[in-house]
Amino acid sequence: MFAFIGFSLRRAWQGFWRNALMSLAATLTMVLMLLLLAGFFVLQNVLVASLSFVEQKVEVVAYVQNTATADQVDALVKHIGAMPEVASVTFVSREEALAKFRAMQTAQGRGDVTATLDTNPLYASLNVKLRSPGDLDTVTNALDGSPIVRNVLNIQALVERVTTVTTVIRNAGAVILGIVGLIVLFIVVNTIRLAVLARAEEIEIMRLVGASDAFIRWPFIFEGGLVGLLGALIAIGILAAAAQPASAAMAGFFNVLPLELGPVGRDTAALVLGTGLGLGVAGSWLSVRTYLIR
Amino acid sequence: MTQTASAYPTFMERLTGRRAPVRTSRDVVVLHGVTKRYPNGRVALRDVDLVVPEGDFVFLVGPSGAGKSTLMRLLIRDELASKGHVVVDGNDLGRLRRRDVPRIRRKIGVVFQDFKLLPRKTVRENVGFALEVTGTKRALVGPAVDRVLALVGLTAQADQLPTQLSGGEQQRTAIARALVHDPRLIIADEPTGNLDPVISWELIQLLLRINELGVTILMATHDAEVVTSLRKRVVALEDGRVIRDETGATYHQAD
Repeated sequence: MFAFIGFSLRRAWQGFWRNALMSLAATLTMVLMLLLLAGFFVLQNVLVASLSFVEQKVEVVAYVQNTATADQVDALVKHIGAMPEVASVTFVSREEALAKFRAMQTAQGRGDVTATLDTNPLYASLNVKLRSPGDLDTVTNALDGSPIVRNVLNIQALVERVTTVTTVIRNAGAVILGIVGLIVLFIVVNTIRLAVLARAEEIEIMRLVGASDAFIRWPFIFEGGLVGLLGALIAIGILAAAAQPASAAMAGFFNVLPLELGPVGRDTAALVLGTGLGLGVAGSWLSVRTYLIR
Repeated sequence: MTQTASAYPTFMERLTGRRAPVRTSRDVVVLHGVTKRYPNGRVALRDVDLVVPEGDFVFLVGPSGAGKSTLMRLLIRDELASKGHVVVDGNDLGRLRRRDVPRIRRKIGVVFQDFKLLPRKTVRENVGFALEVTGTKRALVGPAVDRVLALVGLTAQADQLPTQLSGGEQQRTAIARALVHDPRLIIADEPTGNLDPVISWELIQLLLRINELGVTILMATHDAEVVTSLRKRVVALEDGRVIRDETGATYHQAD
């Protein structure tokens, strides 16, 4: 068994270098295709992160009656905060609301209009962030049901529009990633097929001298795996080299996005490695099969 | 797989004279009522009967398309007979399980007109390849290859590539590869087709020597001079039928 594995690995290595041009062409194709796939995968991740960022902006604002006591407000905050659909609840008191308003006016370079007022005209509010904009109704109804809530700001139409747009973009991204994946699959399998085809004579001789199917198949599968592994490692190397400047640029561009590049980088590396190895092995398996069916 | 004290002397034992070739009454090849019809409807062999006993030297003659190549492809089970039985060394190829096919092929050495050598491997590697890909231990490959190369007279050329060899040397490399498994039967499909007459004769001498060591030889050829002067058994095919099967025969003009 070890002898067989040793034989297959040795033959795979020889096969790779004896047909160096073909093997390098296959590896290069693999690298380019994996980079394409990784590029689309990262784009898809950025897209999804951007979309959830936009969706998190959906905030239900419920204005509280001026007559509400601190206890009543605390109870409501607790009750709403405990709902599974709710990400966070912040209570903004009348004074805070006024201070915010003033700060905004100053920031926009306008005079303080509130100085002319005797009393604070603003209501205190509960600002509720949702886990998903789809839960808007549930949360709105819960807030409406409370006696201390004066009114809930109606953002139904806005939320629906945001949800529609994000859903379409998200699905389109997944479809494009799928199509790119298929293109990569076909091109890589075809390239490996060509490399195996170039060795048809060798396979024929192996059959004639009485080599068993395993002895014919496994060297090619290991060779395909080698092409996949090498391609994946080169692609990961290129991605790693490009990641630093790219993420610096992206951080500048998307500094509002809570995008964590760590897990995305890990996922991309795993995707590239898995796809490379898988395609190399599966591609050669399929290509050699043609010769072994007889 | 190891046949250390087999009742049957190995090729090397016969060659080195340690054990004498035994003339058994075994038949290496038996074809019984064999018809081969290809999927495109062409019938290459019609109801062929042929028995080749151990140690025989048989010329297979006949015009192109008479079915010589088909017959050889049936023997190595590259194709299956549409009707009838093909038996090689006691194994009915039609009933053979797929995974047992390689075992049968190791009992048959095949030599082609176009040599079928791997151009990027040396003579030594080409011959050793046949052993390596059938799972022979690496330590045993070298000595076995050296022995068959000595037999075919290619020891000096062992490290050359096929492109550096003459046609005759390339064909002897192919014969060495066919011999390295210690086969019962050698099938040669017009092995002298690409060689000039003098080199052809040398090659025939080599095959005769191998035959004297007890290996059965089935050789398809168009070479009338060789067939006529050797007076061996001649099987003539025409249009898929055996039209003549004589021992000590000549190459008829009609063939």
